[in-house]
Amino acid sequence: MAAVAVKYPAFRELGAETLMVSVDPVSTHKEWHEKAMKGMIAGGARFPLISDQEGTIGRLYGVYDDEKRINLRSHFLIDPDGIIQAVEMLSAPVGRSVAEILRQLRAMKEYRATGKFIPCGWEPGKPTIPETDDSGAPTRVWESWKPGKAF
Amino acid sequence: MMVRVGDSAPDFLAKAFYIETTTEIHLSRYRGQWVVLLFFVGDFTIV
Repeated sequence: MAAVAVKYPAFRELGAETLMVSVDPVSTHKEWHEKAMKGMIAGGARFPLISDQEGTIGRLYGVYDDEKRINLRSHFLIDPDGIIQAVEMLSAPVGRSVAEILRQLRAMKEYRATGKFIPCGWEPGKPTIPETDDSGAPTRVWESWKPGKAF
Repeated sequence: MMVRVGDSAPDFLAKAFYIETTTEIHLSRYRGQWVVLLFFVGDFTIV
């Protein structure tokens, strides 16, 4: 959460809101925010910390673990039309990459804005791929693509 | 059941802690902007 809070201005610049959800009651979110978050980042988290005590939201998204009674670590990128464009789920001991989530968001926005495809490992400033070449034929990416471009 | 890419994001209304207050968050109110919905294991957990 602290990593998301650090990058929150970047999410806002991209026109995105971040919503974080766990099964904790609002009172625990408040305590956590006061005792832990503010110590890690000035002002703490400036986005909503949602309480999903019964796992209702987690079940809707398929990430609620009935046995452990937790929502599994996961993220969903939802576009301005309310359509899910990316999904990721990780096991509890392993943290996510907020930088990767930002990259996915930038990539989704780039495709939405330009209609050009986003190659593997794309970062802002790197080339994207038109669906068709100058003659209107489907782009034969494999004839020019080098795997090193993905890194 | 797991929702997939291409599905409409299931709507919800839920209580939240947001900038020092308790409020209600309605997902559909964010229509028109990108939303990153992040589930996490819990407050006061290691990761």
